[in-house]
Amino acid sequence: MKKIVKIILLLSCGWLNAQWEGESATILSHGRHEIGLFSPFRMGLRNGSEISVNKFLLMPSISYKSEMSQSHTWRKAYRLQLTYPTLAMRWLQSPLGMKLGEPDKFALISPEFTIPQMLSFYGEIIGTKNLPGNSIITLYGGISFASILSLGVKKLDNRATIDLPGFYPRLSVYYNGVVFKTGSNYLHKLSKYWSYLIDYDMFIMPSSNGRYAFEHKGLIVWTKNEKFRSLFGYKLFAGEYPFGSQAHLIPMLDLQFGW
Amino acid sequence: MITKHLIGNKSLIFFGLLISSCDPLVNEFNDIEEAIMYRANNVTEFSAQDTIKVMTWNIRFGVARLRFFGDGCGDRVILKKNEVYEALEDLAEKIKMEDPDILLLQEVDVQSKKTGYIDQAQWLLDHTDFNYGAYASMWESQIILADGLGRVNTGNLILSKWELDNAERYQLPLRGDQDALTKYFYLRRNVLKARVNMPGHPFYAVNTHATAFATDDTKRKHLDKFKSILDGIVAEGNFFVAGGDLNEIPPNASKMDYCLDDQCEGESFHEPGVYNHKEGSYFAPEITWLEALYKSYKSAIPLDIYGVYETKHFTHSVDINLTLDRKLDYLWTNTEWFNGRTHQEAIKLSDHIPVSAKWVVR
Repeated sequence: MKKIVKIILLLSCGWLNAQWEGESATILSHGRHEIGLFSPFRMGLRNGSEISVNKFLLMPSISYKSEMSQSHTWRKAYRLQLTYPTLAMRWLQSPLGMKLGEPDKFALISPEFTIPQMLSFYGEIIGTKNLPGNSIITLYGGISFASILSLGVKKLDNRATIDLPGFYPRLSVYYNGVVFKTGSNYLHKLSKYWSYLIDYDMFIMPSSNGRYAFEHKGLIVWTKNEKFRSLFGYKLFAGEYPFGSQAHLIPMLDLQFGW
Repeated sequence: MITKHLIGNKSLIFFGLLISSCDPLVNEFNDIEEAIMYRANNVTEFSAQDTIKVMTWNIRFGVARLRFFGDGCGDRVILKKNEVYEALEDLAEKIKMEDPDILLLQEVDVQSKKTGYIDQAQWLLDHTDFNYGAYASMWESQIILADGLGRVNTGNLILSKWELDNAERYQLPLRGDQDALTKYFYLRRNVLKARVNMPGHPFYAVNTHATAFATDDTKRKHLDKFKSILDGIVAEGNFFVAGGDLNEIPPNASKMDYCLDDQCEGESFHEPGVYNHKEGSYFAPEITWLEALYKSYKSAIPLDIYGVYETKHFTHSVDINLTLDRKLDYLWTNTEWFNGRTHQEAIKLSDHIPVSAKWVVR
C-alpha cells in the first residue's frame, strides 16, 4: 500500500511538475524545500510562489518567483532577485586576511580598489512548456540593474573586474550598471530514474569591455526520488573578456536534496 | 626585477583544474620552442650597414616609476591604461631619439591585467622605426591567485629593423628555492635568440633576463646557460650581439650589499646576531658570477671603464628612488663594441637604464 501511495505521489508531483527545476516556470509546492551543492536553497510558499536564498552568506541574495497566468500551453512565471555583493567582493580582496605583497593569497581583486556598498536587482520572465515525448522546454529573459549606495562613489573601478569564466558576466552589472540575460533549457526523461538536461545562458553586457558571455551545460540527471538527485556533465563558457575572447570547458557535478 | 612574492597552497590545484580551458592555466614551456613573431603594421625597408647600434632596456612593463607593489615598496597593482600609454609614449620617444637598429627589451607585457592588457610588443613596433619583433614569455598564466594580479603575460622582446628568423626561446632553470606549487605559478625565465637577416651579413641577437630574487644558485645557472648559448653561436662561426638584465653586478663593483638601500617600511635587515638579507639585494656571494662572460666576450662597458667611472654606468635603482646605485644591465659580443653608453638621462622612464653601443658588422 505504501508503495502505491509513493507511486501516486511521485506521479502527482513528479518530474514533469519539475519540482527540481529551479530555472523553470514551475513553482515549488507549498512547504517543499530544495537545496544543492551548487544551487540555492528554495522553499515553496502559498499562492503559487517560492523564494530562494543564496547559501554563500558573504553574497546574500534573495529571489521571489511567482506564477503568472498560463497562455496557451505555456506556463509562465516571473522572478525578482535582490543581491548584495559588497561583502563578497571585499572578501575576495584578501580571503586570507593578508596584506598586499605578503603575498595576498587567493585575492582575485586587488586590495587597492575601494568596493562600495552596492545592490543589484534582477527581474525575469520565465515560460515553460511540456513537449511530446517526456520533454520540457523553458525559455527565460531578464534584465539586471545595479546601484551604488555609498555616498561619494559614482562607479566601481573597471580595473577591479575578475576576468574569469562565471565571475565576469555575473559581476559585470556592478561595473556597468545593466546586464541583459536570456536563456533556455531542455529536459528530457530517458527512463524512470534518468534524464538529461541541456541549457544555455547568454549575458549581454553593454558598455563593458567584454560585451557578451555564453554558457552552456549538458548534464545527465539521476533522480533517485523526491529527496535526492545528482547531476553530472560539463559546462562550457565562451565569451569576451577585457583581454579578448576565450572559451573554457569544465566538468560539473551537483547533488541536490529535497524534503 | 619583477614580482617576488607568490602563492603556495594545494587548493590552487583544484582551482586550476576548475577553470581549465583549451589553453593551459599556466604555460610551462618546452626546453626549446619557437618564439612569438611580430611585425610592424607599416614595414620600412632598411639596407645593410657597416655599423649598427644595439641597445638593451628593461622597460618595467611600461609603468615607468609608478609605485608598482611587486618590485619595490609600492602599493599599486592594476595600473590605468592611460598611465601605461603615457609611459610607453615616453619610452618610444627615447627609443626613436637613440635610434638603435637592434633593441633588446625585458619586462614587456603583451597581455597582462596589471597593464590594461596592452600588447606592448605590437605597440612599440608600431610607434618606433622597428619592423620585426620576436617575443618569449617568462610568465604566462591565465590567473595569478595573489594580490589581484589576474592574467599575466610578460617577457623578453627583440626588436629589429631587419627581418628576424630562427627565433627560439630557451627555457632557463626554475628557481630551486621554492616549493613545487609556488614554482608552478612563478616566472619561467628564458634566453631569446633570433637570427637578424641584415642583407649579406646575418648575425644573431640574444636577449635574456636572469632571476632577481633566487637565494640559491639559480642565477648562476641562468648566467651559465646564457653563456653556453652564446658559445654555441660562436662554435658555429657566427657573430652575435647579446644582452639583457642579468640582475648581477660586475665583479669589480665597489658595493655588494643593498639590503638597507632597498628596505621598505616595516622591513628590517642586518639585525645584530641575525643573518638576514633582502632577496635580490645582497650580491656578495655571487660577485664572481659574471667573470666568465667578461673573460670570453666583449662588454659594451668594459670592466676597466666601469671601475673608473662606476657611478656613470649604474643602470638601476629600486622603486621611486632616482639615485642610481648598481649596474645590472649589459651588452655582449664576440667581436667589438665602440661608443658604449649608459643612458642615465632616462632615469624616470623605467627602474632600469638603457645601455647602448655601436657594433662593427663582420
